Amino acid sequence: MKMKVLAVAAALSIAAGAAEAQQIVFSSWGGTTQDAQTKYWATPFSADTGVAVVQDGPTDYGKITAMVEANAVSWDVADVEFDWAILAGQKGLLEPLDFTVIDRSQIDPRFVSDYAVGSFYFSFVMGYNPANFPGDKPAKLTDLFDTKKFPGKRTFYKWSAPGVIEAALLADGVAPENLYPLDLDRAFAKLDTIKSDIIWWEGGAKSQQLLASGEAPIGFFWNGRLAALQADGMNVGISWDQNITAADALVVPKGTKNKDAAMRFIAAATGAKPQADFAADTGYAPINTGSPGLMKPEIRATLPDQQNAVQINADLAYWAAHRDEIGNRWYAWQAR
Amino acid sequence: MSIISLALPNRGRRGSGLALAMPAILLLLAFFVIPVAMLLLRSVTEPQPGLQNYAALIGSPTYIKVFLNTFLVAGIVALITVLIAFPVAWALAIMPRGWAAVIFSIIILSMWTNLLARTYAWMVLLQQTGLINRILIGIGIIDQPLQLTNNLIGVTIGMVYIMLPFMILPLLGVIRKIDPAILQAAALCGATRWQALTRVLVPLATPGIASGGLMVFVMSLGYFVTPSLLGGTANMMLAELIAQQVQSLVNWGMGGAAAFILLVITLGLYAVQLRFFESKEGAR
Repeated sequence: MKMKVLAVAAALSIAAGAAEAQQIVFSSWGGTTQDAQTKYWATPFSADTGVAVVQDGPTDYGKITAMVEANAVSWDVADVEFDWAILAGQKGLLEPLDFTVIDRSQIDPRFVSDYAVGSFYFSFVMGYNPANFPGDKPAKLTDLFDTKKFPGKRTFYKWSAPGVIEAALLADGVAPENLYPLDLDRAFAKLDTIKSDIIWWEGGAKSQQLLASGEAPIGFFWNGRLAALQADGMNVGISWDQNITAADALVVPKGTKNKDAAMRFIAAATGAKPQADFAADTGYAPINTGSPGLMKPEIRATLPDQQNAVQINADLAYWAAHRDEIGNRWYAWQAR
Repeated sequence: MSIISLALPNRGRRGSGLALAMPAILLLLAFFVIPVAMLLLRSVTEPQPGLQNYAALIGSPTYIKVFLNTFLVAGIVALITVLIAFPVAWALAIMPRGWAAVIFSIIILSMWTNLLARTYAWMVLLQQTGLINRILIGIGIIDQPLQLTNNLIGVTIGMVYIMLPFMILPLLGVIRKIDPAILQAAALCGATRWQALTRVLVPLATPGIASGGLMVFVMSLGYFVTPSLLGGTANMMLAELIAQQVQSLVNWGMGGAAAFILLVITLGLYAVQLRFFESKEGAR
């Protein structure tokens, strides 16, 4: 009996060894987003090429840095925030992308660089639970900071990233064209006015839980997570006024042993159809300029790329250059 | 620590066991000592050689606050855990064996359930629209929901719950060894119940209280998941600071420095405990 088990185990490990050459590991952020990346990017890619895509995560910048420095890269492709991708490219942590494999001409020029190509782009939008506000509904970013008119806890993204600081400045009256360079003193002064009413969300699932339970009836969310709540039948209020866009990026950590397969996976994931399918399911916008033509008009209408008129693009290059400085101040302010 | 050393026979002849312990020592060396040493090295080499990371940690009121808060939370958690665990352990010790086994297995089972799941469960129970607040409002004790999460209260409740087994187990071991006849003797000599507790039972159980309390305190010092989910950023603990520095800012130097300070404090506490117990044992 024991021998049989051993024999099966040995056979399995031999099979695994044979498959290893045809396998890449993809790291992302979990939840509904990674589920959609698996379904619309990885599964069709594996069916077409025979290369298995192992899902891993959550993405962790400390881990990527350590892998590259130790020359033991186990994530062949990672979904990261775009501003970090720019910084990591400058620091030599990433493989340059192979644009003979990836079709650069099809990609929104806002979301492509030598080391990173957009994964999807999203907006930070104000969302609220209408059940908590029977009278006037929140409509502008200033309402996020107005605890008299709209009482209750508000929820914001916990980590230092483009979005919340911009929202504070806009609500304080800074004109969108004067946002950068960011006036951090002014932003933190504005955030101080509601600090005791802030509950932080560190991941998309918690943001949904806070809003749906009414624990925080208003907040600043990734638009896709609100779309997912609506898809589940919840009544969610969304204000697109002054929505702030940022993007995720696909990158290849330097030193991967599966570079060719990684490039082919990125080429497939950023193709018009996979981007369109992913966007239709998640509520995030495609970065392939050919995708919108493939989507149903009523679905397109709910995506961030239809909100250009009231949209503000976070300056991701500015963030890449000031990431550490802003981050240190952000965390020190939070802990104060 | 002292429990382990008590359980080992032949304490005097350490040399003879060294060869047998080599695999374990090599494993610890490869997977703990060397990586930790490398992390600590980075705290004095990144971004440039020097002690600037330590200076920044000690010189900043914010980081000092995080340190103090870490000790405050760990202290409160250890204290409350002792206060709850002592009567539980005592009850388990004097209960009929069958019942004790059932309750004991419930306590152990809770330790086998995923930590994240248990913490999320507390989040759902404690939030403003959660079960506890709804019941309190329903029976008319309060009209406004109490703020039980995203603050010190939430962290304390969540962590005490998780730490209780670690306190109950060592306490139970010590209390079971106390001869019930000693308490009868105390009563015969005229001690009130309170006196029997404070003058006889608690002193005899002190080794268990001290080792369990210290273990809970030290484990709490480095806790991450529960404070992160149930606490607010105003009561940030050291582990969260390290996670921020390493994960978000990719600042290994600062993260390593904070980790080193935590390690030194922890080892210092173990040293105190060892010394305290060795002298106790000697006195007996």
